[in-house]
Formats: sequence, C-alpha cells, structure tokens
Amino acid sequence: MPYLCPGLLSSAERPDRPAALLANDLERLLGDPDDPSSPFSYARCLELDRREAFPSEMCDELDRMGVQRFYVPRAYGGALVSFEQLSALVRVLARRDLTLAIGHAKTFLGAAPLWVAGDPGPAARLAEAILAGARVSLGLTEREHGGDLAATETRAVRDRGGYRISGEKWLINNATRGRMITLLAGTDQALSLFLLDKRALEPEEYRCLPKIRTHGIRGADISGIELSGARVPQDALIGTPGAGLPILVKALQLTRTGCLALSLGALDQAIELATRFARERILYGRPLAELPAVRLRLGQAYATLFVAEAVNITATRCVHVLPDELSVVSAVAKAVVPSLAEDCLDSLGELLGIRSFLAEGRLQKVERDHRIVGIFDGSTFVNRSVLINQFGRLARSFHRGRADQQRLRQLFRIGGKLPPFDAARLGVVSRNGCGVVQSIPQAVEAVTALAAEGRAPDALAVLARALLIEVQQVHEQLAARNWPQLDRPPEAFHLAQRYELCFAAAACLHLWVHNRTRVASGLWDEAAWLTACLGFLLARLRPDSVTATRHADEAMIALYERVERARPSGPLSIVPIHGEAPARGRG
Amino acid sequence: MRVMPAESFHPLLGDPLDPVEPFGHASILDADEREEIFAAGERFLDRHALLAELVPAELGGRLVSFERLIVTMRSVARHDMALWLSYFGSAFIGSTNVWAAGTPGQRRTVAGLLLRNGKLAVAYHELEHGTDLLRVGFNALPSGDGWIMNGRKEVIANVDRAEKTVLFARTDPQPGLWSHSQFLIDNAAAVREGMRYLPRFHTSGMRGVRLTGVELAGCPVPGDCVLGAPGGGVDTVLRSFPITRVVISGTAVASLDTGLRLALRFALDRRRGPGRVADLAVTRRLLCDTFIDLLVCDAIASVAARALQITPAESHLYSAAVKFLVPRLAMDAMRRLSTLLGAHFYLREGPHALFQKHLRDLAPAVFGHLPRAACQSLLLPYLPRLARHAWAAPEDPDSALFRLREDLPSFPLGKLPPAAARRDPLIAALTLTQQRLRGTELAGLVDALAGELAALRRECAAMRPHRLTVTADTAALATTSRYAALLAASACLNIWWHHRAADVFVGDPRWVAAALRRLLAGVPRHGLLLGERGDHTPWLYAELVRRFEEGRSFDLSDQPLR
Repeated sequence: MPYLCPGLLSSAERPDRPAALLANDLERLLGDPDDPSSPFSYARCLELDRREAFPSEMCDELDRMGVQRFYVPRAYGGALVSFEQLSALVRVLARRDLTLAIGHAKTFLGAAPLWVAGDPGPAARLAEAILAGARVSLGLTEREHGGDLAATETRAVRDRGGYRISGEKWLINNATRGRMITLLAGTDQALSLFLLDKRALEPEEYRCLPKIRTHGIRGADISGIELSGARVPQDALIGTPGAGLPILVKALQLTRTGCLALSLGALDQAIELATRFARERILYGRPLAELPAVRLRLGQAYATLFVAEAVNITATRCVHVLPDELSVVSAVAKAVVPSLAEDCLDSLGELLGIRSFLAEGRLQKVERDHRIVGIFDGSTFVNRSVLINQFGRLARSFHRGRADQQRLRQLFRIGGKLPPFDAARLGVVSRNGCGVVQSIPQAVEAVTALAAEGRAPDALAVLARALLIEVQQVHEQLAARNWPQLDRPPEAFHLAQRYELCFAAAACLHLWVHNRTRVASGLWDEAAWLTACLGFLLARLRPDSVTATRHADEAMIALYERVERARPSGPLSIVPIHGEAPARGRG
Repeated sequence: MRVMPAESFHPLLGDPLDPVEPFGHASILDADEREEIFAAGERFLDRHALLAELVPAELGGRLVSFERLIVTMRSVARHDMALWLSYFGSAFIGSTNVWAAGTPGQRRTVAGLLLRNGKLAVAYHELEHGTDLLRVGFNALPSGDGWIMNGRKEVIANVDRAEKTVLFARTDPQPGLWSHSQFLIDNAAAVREGMRYLPRFHTSGMRGVRLTGVELAGCPVPGDCVLGAPGGGVDTVLRSFPITRVVISGTAVASLDTGLRLALRFALDRRRGPGRVADLAVTRRLLCDTFIDLLVCDAIASVAARALQITPAESHLYSAAVKFLVPRLAMDAMRRLSTLLGAHFYLREGPHALFQKHLRDLAPAVFGHLPRAACQSLLLPYLPRLARHAWAAPEDPDSALFRLREDLPSFPLGKLPPAAARRDPLIAALTLTQQRLRGTELAGLVDALAGELAALRRECAAMRPHRLTVTADTAALATTSRYAALLAASACLNIWWHHRAADVFVGDPRWVAAALRRLLAGVPRHGLLLGERGDHTPWLYAELVRRFEEGRSFDLSDQPLR
C-alpha cells in the first residue's frame, strides 16, 4: 500500500500499541508546529483559515501517513481496533488544528453507520474506498429542520430494483469534497440510510451546494448536496429499509464519543498558549503567573483538561467494555466535555486579553473553531434531551445499586487489553442505566477506606463524601417526577447538567481508584489531580456553597503549582506517555 | 436644565431587524468581511453630526447626560458594534480627557474638531504593557519650549485617519503616579516631524475598525500640546476613565439586545416537531433569562451613569463594578443564545449571520478598557473601608440615582473628583429597601440580599491590608464580585421602587423578582431560594414578544426603535 507512510504503518500493524505512543508517532510525523515551513505548521493553519481554504494538502499528507486506516475496522481491512487509538489520533490532529482534524476525521462520521449496521456489501465497498483515499460525509441535516431528523424531507423511492433519491442536505461537512455520502432519506418504511457514491451518479442527478461561510473552521467544506432523482442500486441501502434511525442513533454514540478528542485537542492548544503567556508576560513588574488569580485560572484550566480526559478515557473504553450503556455515556460525555471546554477557552481568552483577539494569535481561532464541537453530531441540547429520555431508568437503576463490578474494573484499569468492539451490543437506550454513576457509592467507600488507612488524603475523602451527597440528591430529583418527553421542562435540562457533572466526577474517582498504584506521575501523588478535579466539579454542583468554592480554589492553585514545578515537556495529561521513563515529579 | 429626549434619535436607524438604509445587514456584514469600516454608516452618522453628542453643551455640543449618551450610542451599537467603536470610541475617551485636563483653548479645538465630524484618536496602549499604564515605554522629554517623543503605541483605532491624537507618555523617569503626561498632538504636524504609522493589526472581532499604531523616534512636539499640568497624566486618567468605562460598558448592552432579537426571531420562525422552537418551555426560559440579564446590565449601567453626575466621587467604584459585571454578563448571555441558534449561530451568511458578528464584536468589551481582574484590584482596597463605615451606618441614599431619565446636575467639567469611598448610596439604598419591603413578595429575596451584605461586611471589615494589593488572594478578590452583584441588585430593586406607581414595565415587581433570583443564584448560601421560584417566565415572555413585534428596545426604557 504505497500511500502509507512507514511511521503509522508499523504501528498500525501492532494493534496493541498504546494509544499514547501511537499519538506520539503521529505528532512526530506532523513535525514541528512552530516551524512555519513545516507542512503542518500553526502559521499555515492560520493562513488557511484567513483565506477560508480547505487544508487539502495536509489531508492528503495524512492519507499518505495512513491515518484514514484508523477510520476503517480491521475486519474490513483497516487499522481500527481500538477506539482509544482513534481518539488519541484525533486529539493530536485537533491539537494542531481543528479544521484539519474535523476535515479529515469526518470520514469516520460518515462511515460509522456502516460499521454499526454491519451490512457486509456496502461496508466492504466503503472500506475499500476510504483506504484508497475517498472522503465520506454524513448527510443528515436539512435546511428547515437541522437536528430534527424525524422531519426529514429527502425521499428515496423504489425504482427498477434500486432507489431514486431526491432532496437537499444542508450544512454537511465535506459534502462537496467527499466522494461518498451516507444519507438519511424517507422510504416507504420510515427513514432509511443509503450510501451514495458520487462517481456512480449521473451529473444531472446531483448538485453540490456552495460552501457556506462559517464563524470558525473557516476552511472547512461545510456545504450541502441537492439530489434530483439520483438513482442508486439496491445495495446502496444500509441495513434494512426503515432501519435508518436506530442505526444512526447507535452510530452517533460512537462519533459523539469521538468528538471529545476535538475538545481535548483544543484545550491542549489553549493551555499551552496560556501557560506560556502567564510565565512570560510581565505586568505590574512581575510575571503574570505570580498573581493568585492567574494561578487559579490556569489551575481551573488544568482541572478542566483532566476532567475532560477522565471522561474521554471512560467513554472511549466504554465503547469496548460497556457498549450497552453507551447511549447514556456518549450523550453525557458529548454534553459535558465541550461545555466545560468552551468555558475554559473563554476564561483563558480573558487571561490573554488582547492577545486572544489579534488575528495573528491562535487562541481566537481555537475558540471560534471549537464552538462547532458543541453543535455538531447532536448539540448539547440534543444530548441532554437523549439523557432526559432515560431519566426514569437511571433513577431506578441507581436505587437498585446496579453495577457490574467486573466490567467496571475492566473499564477503568487503563492500559489493559480491551475487548473487541461489538456493534451488536449497542443499544438505543441503556437497560442497566449507567454503571459508572451507579457505582459511585462503592468508589466513595473505597476512598474513605484508603483515607482511614492513611493511603489517601483526608481531604479527598471529604470531597468524595460531599460528592456522594450531590449524587444522591440528583437521583432523588430524577425519581421525583415523571419527566415529559415532549417539551421537557427547563428543570430537566438543569438536572441533566448536574447529572453530567456527577458522571464526570465518577469517571475521575473510578480512574484514580483503579490505577492509583499503577501510574507513576507527580500528578497522581497525594491524589493531586483527583482532588483538584473533584473540587472543580463540586464547586459547579454547588455554586451556592462558600466552602465548596473556597476549597476548589485552593485545590486549583495547588494543582497549578504542582504542574508548574514539574513543567512537563509535552502536553499536559493525567496519563503519562508509557514510552518515556516514568519519573516521579513529572506531570 | 431639561434632558433632551434621546428617544427621538432611534427611529433614524430603525429596528435592527428592519433597519433603514444604509443599515441593511448585508452592507454591515459585507464591511466586516472586507475588514473595512462601514463607510455608508459612518457618512450617515456624520450627516446627523453625531459626534456633537460627545461635546458638552457649554462647548456647543449636545452632551448633557451620560445616561442619555449611552442611549444614543446604543442605537448605533445595536446595528453595528464596530461602527460604534470606530466612530465614538476613541473620540469619546480622548475628548473626555481633554474636557478633564485641557486648557480652554484645547477644549475649544477638540470641540470644534468633533463638531465638524473630525477624527480624534487615543494612543494609550502598548502591547508590551497592556493595562499597566504606569510602565509605558513611550516617553516624552522636555526640550526647549517643547517635547521630544520616543516610542510606539500599538493597536490604536483610526490613528492614521485622525486629525488629532491624545497620547499618553512617560515624562519623568521616576516611578510613581506623577511621572506621566497626556498630550494632544496634531497628526499632520507630527508626521512632518517623523511620526510613522504602524501596519494594520487584524482582529477576530471588530474587524472593520482600523487598528494600527504610531512610532515616534525623536519626534519634536510643541510645548503647548501637553494636556493639563505635566506629570498629571495618570491623575487625569483616573478621574476620566470612570466616565468612559460606564458609558462604554453600558453601550455594549446594545449588542445583547440585537443578539436576543435575532435569537427570538429564530425561535419564532423555526419549526421543531409539531410547533416552533419558541413554543418549547426550555426556549422560553432561556430567552427570559437573557432578557433579565439584559435588564440587570441596563439597571446597574444606568444607575452608575447617573451617579457620574449625581455623586461623582463615589461613581468611581460603581464604574469599576459596571465594567467588571456588565460585559461579562452580556457575553455569557450571548453564548447562551448561541446554543439556542445551534448551527445557525455558526453561519456568516443567511438571515442570522449578524449574530456571530455581534458575538465577535462584543468580546473585547470584556477585556478592553480595563480587564476584569484590574477592576477587581481597583475595587478591593475600598471594600474594608466601606464595610467599616458606609455599610455599617448607611445614610440617606440619593433617590435621584434611580429616577431614570430625570434631570441631572451638570457634570463638573475640568473638576472631576478623585475616587472617594466615604459613602455608598447604592448599598444604603439596598438597606433602606429591606425595611420598606417587609411583608411583600420581594421580602424573602431582599432578606437574602441583606444577609449576603451582612456576611460580606463582616468579611471585608476583617480584611488586612496585605490582602488588598495587586497580588490579592482569590478569596479576597471574590468579595469584589459579590459586591458588584449587590450593587446590581440594589440598582434593580430601587429603580423598580421609584417607578412602582407608574404604569410602566419597570414599575412591575415581577422583573425585579426574576432579576434578584438570577443575581442570588451566584451568591453563596442562597441557592435554596431557587428551588421555590415563582415562575414569571410567561409574563416576561409575553413582554419580550410584544417588544419584538412592536420594534421596541429590550432594555428598561422599552423605547420604540422604529
């Protein structure tokens, strides 16, 4: 396969290569971002954004490296074995540039319904095309009803052993540049999904709509396609007729999980910029980083990143270990991570002041670009609605104390081998609720016991118990009434938001409990990152509590100081890269 | 002196959603895309001699009230924030300093300049020193009868289009507050002496505003261009910036007005399921929360603007509180609205494209002209003193602060007072209201506010001096945001109280109840109140839609825009 660059090819052949190492491989291949002559330089990304030009050369280069192989499951000849690997790669791309990451990884979005449907014919055809460099887009939304898929107007009518499709899909990433498009259309039996290959259509059967100018990711190909009786063969149908929505609902669980990496990459960029700025900027005769308020702000940013990482690790591994609960986990994760990241980018923008505003600076771009993450693949509103629909079940499962401890151990013991992904185990709703949240009481118990033995800080046990109180209160409210599924009340959205924070706290807590003796990193000493993250989340759960805010602030500043002492060379992370010698005191 | 009705100006530009020419969205957006100032809009403002709004009446202009100036500026900012900033921003900051410190001749010069639509720039900012004016690198050294200037000023609006520039320079190498001066220089003359304009700075918002800079290397300027006594530059800034901060923050609220208007139109037009997006309870709550935030912003900004003329020495604190609170509230509200628009907020074309422009244009209001951290540093040292004296024994508040649009005393041109914290009329009014409202539906909320004030007073009174410096700990800094929230609450409450007999929107207690609940949500200890909210959303939503349909402003004044 001549389009593969040796770097990623070799790693692709070792499916057990830790995700962090694979990410390192890609980072190295992308080269020095600060060198303007490098093909993947920040300067180049900014310039393309200014000109609203698609990063075509960069995407071609990624193809040569073989990144697109990770969008295709191994069963179809690709390299996708572990969603942790895929997530790590997308994070590296997003850390470089969100337009690039979205422009390239959108192929996975378009392809996911086929991997979920498991229909061998179309899936094999698509796999072949992707491996040969074809870009794929997902055609769901229409001009008049965006996320309201039930209102889809595009129609597919049976015609001579195949279908004829007519209608318009609008605001579609890569609709013009993509060769293939996975399309949602109404058939006699409700909504169905089709795989269209533009090359197989007659020129008069379709028309790509002009690129739409956007607030961020200005270079992206966000456009649309108009189909006028486009004829497709019978085997363009994905799954069975009328199975469109269930397939899609499951595929979106995968792609929503994948979106978290975009937020992480954006946070990586912003945190690097802000940390450097605070160190170098002299104001009132001293480095900005000496001001407690600045330390607090940076500490909050680090805590945001670690919370986002913990949620990402949990959701990504959930794809393999607990796919039957992914309907809850992916909705929660996609709602909470981009929201927290947006707040963080906003806060760091305020820290940078005018430097967050000058077009030559990267922060303004990251901030604009990242805003799309909270919108696409189901907006925060849509994801919260998904969660609200499962409120009753979540309340009941929590009170029954349901959680499969063995699978949770597998979920949270990082670095361990993951079971292969099995699309058949995905569900439209989660019958068992959410084990991650339902097992909070056990995790709190474990932390309390560790603290009693002097193996965890007392402060951590206090935080954990405070969290448990919030979690119990949230579940009482979940159980308190029957939440309507139509015109859900504002209180339901508020509660969904609180549930998300509980989930994020649970992810942090479990990760620490299951790995505390397994990771050698200064951030894990004295449960430093966990204390900060729990403090951060509790302050958000209890904005009215003076103590919660004060403790959180102290923990954030302590976190900042610990990171600053260690000054990690690479991007900040709670999961140190295994390839490097694990050194105590390193972030 | 009678206040002229600024309302008469609004219909000239029209409803932001149904503007008169040349304020069509396409032209405004087009100028933004081309990174050019909206020229037709500028000509329109020139035709109506709008810069006269900045010139005090005694100098031949129309400036009699800062409250009214905000109203006038908002009518421009509602359409195009960049046009507003470009047209009024520098001219306002510069001229305020000239009125404050200039000689009668300098004042006449600048008044004349503005009255014939001339451009005035202000050059304070240097990228290297940001808000730290005391450490500016730009210097002017006395030489014979004049001065020799050296240095750079960066990210300066319209400086290469201006006839005159107010310039801030170090004039004494000694550290301290008396080592700087302001100058009013003639651009053409300075260019002849070697002043060079810097290349354009491009920005993510306010893209149409021409931001460049100047570089002077040994450039002589005449002696009579210094503003006020040499060495008094910082003193002048400290006295005049409270004015400009209130007016600029208060004007930025206009952006939220348009953002809310666009979002409401979207919600009313857009179908979802069997109905419209606007039919969903969660949509209505979001819109009404934003409406309330806008009213809170307007309340504190209007009261602070009135305070500039009624109680100028105390207005310094209110000004910092407004700058701290208002742009942030407005920005957060815009972000919230963006989630309602969903993907449509992200588009730079189509019917809602103006939204993303306002979102980008509003951003610098948060950090520009004193960032929030600096507002906190400014407020903090006053709080212990206020807590021990003014808050402990509140005197009669100035009820004129709250009687919006009523006559104001003229402001002491050239005699702006330095900051003082002997009194705190807003907090005094809050305390008084608590007594007045016993037994009413607002009593619970007001008691909660009083409890918060008592807690804040104890905390601030006990604060030791070492916690009040620029390196203040975060708990000390948090008291400033709590103080600002109390000021806003008092402004809302008292505006309502003083209009309660009139048959106007502000006289209805329901908006105040909603406003206090939102302000208390961020207040420690009182979160529980939120659980028992009497929901005024239906009433607020009906009001919002009425104003939308009738083309009226969403602020307290509820005035016609067309």
